[in-house]
Amino acid sequence: MKAYELITETVLRKTYLRVIHAAWFGIYAAVFLIPFPPDRCSWGSFVFVWSGCLLPLLLSAGIFGNDVASGRISLLITKPIRLGELYIYRLIGLSLQGAVHLIAVGTLILILHRLTNRGSTENFLAWLLVSWLIFNTWAALSTTLSVVVKREHNAMLLFFTAGVVIFVLSFVVSFYPDHRLTAVFLGVVRWACPPVELMGQMGLGLASLRQSLDSAAHSLMLTVLYSAVGIILLSKREFKYAREG
Amino acid sequence: MDRCGNIAVPVVECRQVTKTYSSVWAGRSRAVCALRSASLRVDEGAILGLIGPNGAGKTTFLSLMAGLLWPTEGLIRICGHPARSLQAKRHLGYVPESPAFLACYSARAVLRYHAALHGLSRRDVAIETDRLLEQVKLQECAKRAVGGFSLGMRQRLALAVALINRPRLLLLDEPSNGLDPIGVIELRRVLSELRQSGATVIISSHRLGELEKLTSDYVFLDKGRIVRFSDEASPAQDKYLCVQLLPGGANITDASVVPHRLIELSQTQAKIAVSGIEDVPDVVRRLVTAGASVAGVHLETEDVEQTFVRLCQERAS
Repeated sequence: MKAYELITETVLRKTYLRVIHAAWFGIYAAVFLIPFPPDRCSWGSFVFVWSGCLLPLLLSAGIFGNDVASGRISLLITKPIRLGELYIYRLIGLSLQGAVHLIAVGTLILILHRLTNRGSTENFLAWLLVSWLIFNTWAALSTTLSVVVKREHNAMLLFFTAGVVIFVLSFVVSFYPDHRLTAVFLGVVRWACPPVELMGQMGLGLASLRQSLDSAAHSLMLTVLYSAVGIILLSKREFKYAREG
Repeated sequence: MDRCGNIAVPVVECRQVTKTYSSVWAGRSRAVCALRSASLRVDEGAILGLIGPNGAGKTTFLSLMAGLLWPTEGLIRICGHPARSLQAKRHLGYVPESPAFLACYSARAVLRYHAALHGLSRRDVAIETDRLLEQVKLQECAKRAVGGFSLGMRQRLALAVALINRPRLLLLDEPSNGLDPIGVIELRRVLSELRQSGATVIISSHRLGELEKLTSDYVFLDKGRIVRFSDEASPAQDKYLCVQLLPGGANITDASVVPHRLIELSQTQAKIAVSGIEDVPDVVRRLVTAGASVAGVHLETEDVEQTFVRLCQERAS
């Protein structure tokens, strides 16, 4: 009962979450209808960016921050439940949402592709798998951020930080490709941030089986690491019961 | 010792609890002591009122007992377990001042959710949910989304959520906020039933009249200190002798009634602190000796509101 309630809460907690899922389906369907779809577009990479990287930010927005801001957290903390359990069940809820969403989206895209023959579905199953892996990593990072950031600010903060990192990365790689610090920066982004590049290579089929397994393990390890940090932060945090303005 | 002859463990035991809030702003650290060396022991079946002016530390004290905050110093045990432990939380029910729920959940779904967090089975969840909805008179709104509830309805629901595990300790922070008079009477009934069942209740409230109908045990907090606990108060400060004076008598001064204390004085009435009815002849004799014309006397017991005001004034001075 406990697990069921905590997992279903992740989708029932806000009405807009169901709207987001519906909107995402609408977007995928609409892309097939627009008159200028890139015929050589890889639907797999589109799903990877749109559902694997963006969707978890929206679904995890305020997952703890809203509870803290509204004061609801005081009712949860005073229940006989380990804070680690609370965190893990919520992350599992997000992960299951991601899995169901990706399966449904994959089915929709395959049907539309069969009907219209637009775009490419090459390596589509691999793309769906890496999309789910990266979804979990982003979801864990965003959920951890939500423990310390008020309301839905975790998603916005992560979105803009990712944007800044990509911008800076493009800049330094373009202008200082051989600089020692560029290599350090690239290493940090590649190994400590959600592994977009490694997962992308897996999806494109550029990685060998061994490299793919390593990348998948790396993604799972980052998910566990981000979650562990989140659980520690949640356990160490005090919650003033009064609503935060 | 309890009824079974075992050594009774206090439901709440606070030893020298201090809570300091620290913050760093613009490079400067700032510490606010919200609670200072507070010690308290509450046994089973008690209803204890937590009173004090705004900012006295009542909410901090309740939050520490509920395990939402950690004491900077000292120890808090609930039913013999550390306040933040799972064992302590199994015995705890907590109603915050402004209870918040997921707006799109119905009252029944909220209760089901919290019952599940307590580890109740599916069957027990259904039984308890129905019982509690009836107890707090929310059966008719059971399927309505909580987002449309008034503050009073949310308070009722929060009470139901707190009672879901049949707690041994119930902590209530301003529980009558937003409740209509019927709701307040219902709350009183529920709390009285709880006390009869052996549960302990600690209530922080500014509605002193309401509190007085429930209990005569109070803790008065001011600036983070327990100023007074009803059990250890000196009874002399609890009673007043109101003396009706006839005009034209001699002027009374503080010295006229020593060792008693003159609280108020007007042309026609004097109010003097006494320890009990046994002091009445002595006070009257002193007044008559001082030249006052006494028309009549009656003994007044200080109610909680008067105690509150007096203690606030004493602290301020």
